[in-house]
Amino acid sequence: MAEKKKRRRADADDDDLPFKNRLKPDSVILQTLRSLTGSAATASSSSGAKTLTLADLALSSTCREVADLSLSSVQSSIESLILRIARSILGGDGFAFDVPSRSSANQLYVPELDRIVLKDKNTLRPFANVSSVRKSTITTRILQLIHQLCAKSIHVTKRDLFYTDVKLFQDQSQSDSVLDDVSCMLGCTRSSLNVIAAEKGVVVGRLIFSDNGDMIDCTKMGMGGKAIPPNIDRVGDMQSDALFILLVEKDAAYIRLAEDRFYNRFPCIIVTAKGQPDVATRLFLRKMKMELKLPVLALVDSDPYGLKILSVYGCGSKNMSYDSANLTTPDIKWLGIRPSDLDKYKIPEQCRLPMTEQDIKTGKDLLEEDFVKKNPGWVEELSLMVKTKQKAEIQALSTFGFQYLSEVYLPLKLQQQDWL
Amino acid sequence: MEAGGSSESPADQPKRGKSKTPRKAKDSVLKQKSPAEFFAENKNIAGFDNPGKCLYTTVRELVENSLDSAESISELPVVEVTIEEIGKVKFNTMIGLVDRERVDEELYDDYETAKAREKRLAKEARNQEIQAKNAALGKKVKEPTPAKAMKGRGEASFYRVTCKDNGRGMPHDDIPNMFGRVLSGTKYGLRQTRGKFGLGAKMALIWSKMSTGLPIDISSSMRGQNYVSFCRLDIDIHRNIPHIHIHEKLEKKEEWHGAEIQVVIEGNWTTYRSKILHYMRQMAVITPYAQFIFKFVSDTSDKSMTIKFARRTDVMPPVPLETKHHPSSVDLLLIKRLITETSKQNILQFLQHEFVNISKAHAERLIGEMGPEFQPKMLIKSLTDQQIVRIHQLFRQAKFEDPIGDCLSPAGEYNLRLGIIKELHPDMVATYSGSAQVFEGHPFIVEAGVSLGGKDVKQGLNIFRFANRIPLLFEQGADVVTRTALKRINWSSYKINQMQDKIGVFVSIVSTKIPFKGTGKEYIGDDITEIATAVKYAIQQCCIQLKSKIVKKMQAREQQERKRNLSKYIPNAAGAVYDVLKEMAQSHALKKKRYEDEDATLLGKVSTRLITKDTLTEKLSQHVEQVDYEMALEFATQSGVSEEPREAIYIHSLDTKSDFIDFSNSIFCFRLTRERTINGTCWTL
Repeated sequence: MAEKKKRRRADADDDDLPFKNRLKPDSVILQTLRSLTGSAATASSSSGAKTLTLADLALSSTCREVADLSLSSVQSSIESLILRIARSILGGDGFAFDVPSRSSANQLYVPELDRIVLKDKNTLRPFANVSSVRKSTITTRILQLIHQLCAKSIHVTKRDLFYTDVKLFQDQSQSDSVLDDVSCMLGCTRSSLNVIAAEKGVVVGRLIFSDNGDMIDCTKMGMGGKAIPPNIDRVGDMQSDALFILLVEKDAAYIRLAEDRFYNRFPCIIVTAKGQPDVATRLFLRKMKMELKLPVLALVDSDPYGLKILSVYGCGSKNMSYDSANLTTPDIKWLGIRPSDLDKYKIPEQCRLPMTEQDIKTGKDLLEEDFVKKNPGWVEELSLMVKTKQKAEIQALSTFGFQYLSEVYLPLKLQQQDWL
Repeated sequence: MEAGGSSESPADQPKRGKSKTPRKAKDSVLKQKSPAEFFAENKNIAGFDNPGKCLYTTVRELVENSLDSAESISELPVVEVTIEEIGKVKFNTMIGLVDRERVDEELYDDYETAKAREKRLAKEARNQEIQAKNAALGKKVKEPTPAKAMKGRGEASFYRVTCKDNGRGMPHDDIPNMFGRVLSGTKYGLRQTRGKFGLGAKMALIWSKMSTGLPIDISSSMRGQNYVSFCRLDIDIHRNIPHIHIHEKLEKKEEWHGAEIQVVIEGNWTTYRSKILHYMRQMAVITPYAQFIFKFVSDTSDKSMTIKFARRTDVMPPVPLETKHHPSSVDLLLIKRLITETSKQNILQFLQHEFVNISKAHAERLIGEMGPEFQPKMLIKSLTDQQIVRIHQLFRQAKFEDPIGDCLSPAGEYNLRLGIIKELHPDMVATYSGSAQVFEGHPFIVEAGVSLGGKDVKQGLNIFRFANRIPLLFEQGADVVTRTALKRINWSSYKINQMQDKIGVFVSIVSTKIPFKGTGKEYIGDDITEIATAVKYAIQQCCIQLKSKIVKKMQAREQQERKRNLSKYIPNAAGAVYDVLKEMAQSHALKKKRYEDEDATLLGKVSTRLITKDTLTEKLSQHVEQVDYEMALEFATQSGVSEEPREAIYIHSLDTKSDFIDFSNSIFCFRLTRERTINGTCWTL
């Protein structure tokens, strides 16, 4: 009843920002958030004692998982592999790699773990075959380069690696994909290979951590925030007085929130990977979640890709499923923009876009995915999206003014604890 | 283009003539126009837009008439086209005009004023300077392009176009009317024909009258005639009647039937040369059973050319039959005309015999449906206008069987294929002939061919369009075939690269009525779903045939290139493996790391250079060679000895009068030739 009354008042009033008058004072919102975080922390600390691993589950099919390996053990496994190959060549049998398959047929979603894992199917990559000669040659070359890195104990980026033999690799996607194959084959994480990706993600807000020994205060990093360091092993000593972590899909929304210093009004940490998340951002988010025990709220576009990005943070990508244990952050809440928000916040028609055939197909495919199905709220929202055939970006909220996102939409969402 | 300028002056002639007539009868403002006058003023409707296009259309109309004429008597066509360039001096002597020198230079449009000359000289000097500089710098000196001779407005080029065929010829007395009267013709009626309106040859005559004022020469002889008719005439545009100069019978010097038409017109060979040649080439593709000789004669001998498009087959499509109208395609006016023309007495017979797909029982049912005032025995000529409207309405609403396409005469898959092979010499070709389909009561057949590679074919899509076996060259962009090939065919799914491969797309549509768009009859619109779907399907069918060939070829190529492709990577792989081994050997030697016995011996060999990069390379090469040999053996046992499909060759018969019997079916044709020898008759295959 009270809701209804408020709504009527909101409609009657001619405020500059719609729904603004429904906001309670910030202190009230903060109070509710605090109580929530407290309970979440206790809940997670109690459940944290029994974090499941693959080994705990009696799965019918065996699954492959990688672990962080020390440099010397990576080096010796490369050496034994090369020795095996050398013997095979000298024996006149050519050589072949036994590479774990990373195709979608070899992926498995484990509901107990809430992430995708890799099954144990392997494919043979012989040298003397027209279809695999390229890949097996690139694999040997990458193995040699990583052996070098291990011996010298230095880090290079994926781009660096590609440029060491452009003529052979032809295009970076080829060396990148073989790199993932190699880490899979050696059973180690990609970070253990000493190969890092360029910085992509940024973080701003109430977070202090050490990067390679330097203390970083993310409230004092200017408007752009701190770039998330590519090697997570140098990051440590995380401290924060934030109440939650806000995961933002888009750079534009991130800049808006950073400039408005949203994290000072509601203590929080704001993270974005500017689209599809890279490994570093995912590792960083997981580390924050694990060490600080904060709830993670996601602000993504209201389209199938927004949900897909959310799923990559949550249960991992198929490409990197062999390392999903280290890359996924459990229990991410979908804050917005959800398909039901379009009507709830009266987003005008001109800001909504019709979904293309491709969008609708992706949406329908997502409805079949296990990680969506396990959350009934998500299924409902996604079905609504596919039914209305409308999508909207975070920027659609700018219709009501550029600051509507930080001034009204997010506070109201937090006040109503409107997340799934 | 210069069209506006050059066609203006000759166009004045009829106008001046016209202005005299109204002066005499001033009391009436109402004027009548003859069809010839209408087309003289709107000659773009018939494709006579500018001198260049006029030359092209003239050639085209004459060639098509010749083909129709030869096919109508089932004679394999031989068409000889000659275009002769006539210089201005020669032209003037032809019309008996004395060439006059210009006296008052400033009177002319191309007169160069003092200012213009200054400008031109300055520009030339600048150009020379730049060139001298470039030459000094050792840059490649471009040939200085000779300044194009300014072509004044009055400067027109004239051509004599001659077209000789071996067709039916024309009856002596009909010749004047066949050429001197616009919109009179022998090709009216519902039938698949190249021409339709009896306009082509007459338009050429009107254009010659407009641009040169010279008459047209016609020689003709029919089978069994012992004389050659010769006729020189022009057209009285205002009355739309022929104006005969000479009409006589000449002695026949050699055995010949057919027609030879000669007309002198203004034209433009330079700009329309490629179009005319394309037209001849595409015509040769779609009519491989015809022989074309194309000659261009000019005073400057390097411009002259003779191209022969040889005959490749004796199989000629049947002469298209005249058919009756389909009830759903007729309009009110057509029904009225049919009623006046019919020889049938009553409505029942009329329905039954003047339309296709109406049987007697069906006609009775239709009459019953028309209402109580209609009786089967009603006299057809007594119908009132309202009753005719009722028939028309019923025709619109009632359901009729679709017309079958047996009145159509498509080029045939065989001919299309031959034509493509003959003119393009492609690496691969596939053809498909669709079944008859219907659009607005008119049956149509779509045939398609897709070729890959070949000579004189550019990379990407080369589209060849034919409508009723005539090549369409203009307004390609909006055509249904172009649109379909560009937008609706996913070439890559047939392993064809749309940008890189030389793709030839040939689509021939035949119908009793081709739904042309625009006045020029140059393209078929993209908005007719029935045709668009049929075109797409036909092209796809060709692509499916090609795909299997392409895949086979790719496999064969893979076989050939396998060893090379594998060997290419040996140095890379061997190098990478050896580099790791070398480093391991070093650390092993420095006792940094311990290795097991077998590994230790291997590394020992590396450090003593018993095993080097070359050893690895050699061993890998051996392995590759062995694998390649095994796979080649496997491929050979699987596919057997494969052979390229053989193409039939056509050999000209040496003596056309020799006796023969054909045993033909749809796939092949046996010909038994009888040769008379001393001992009797001998049959050879």
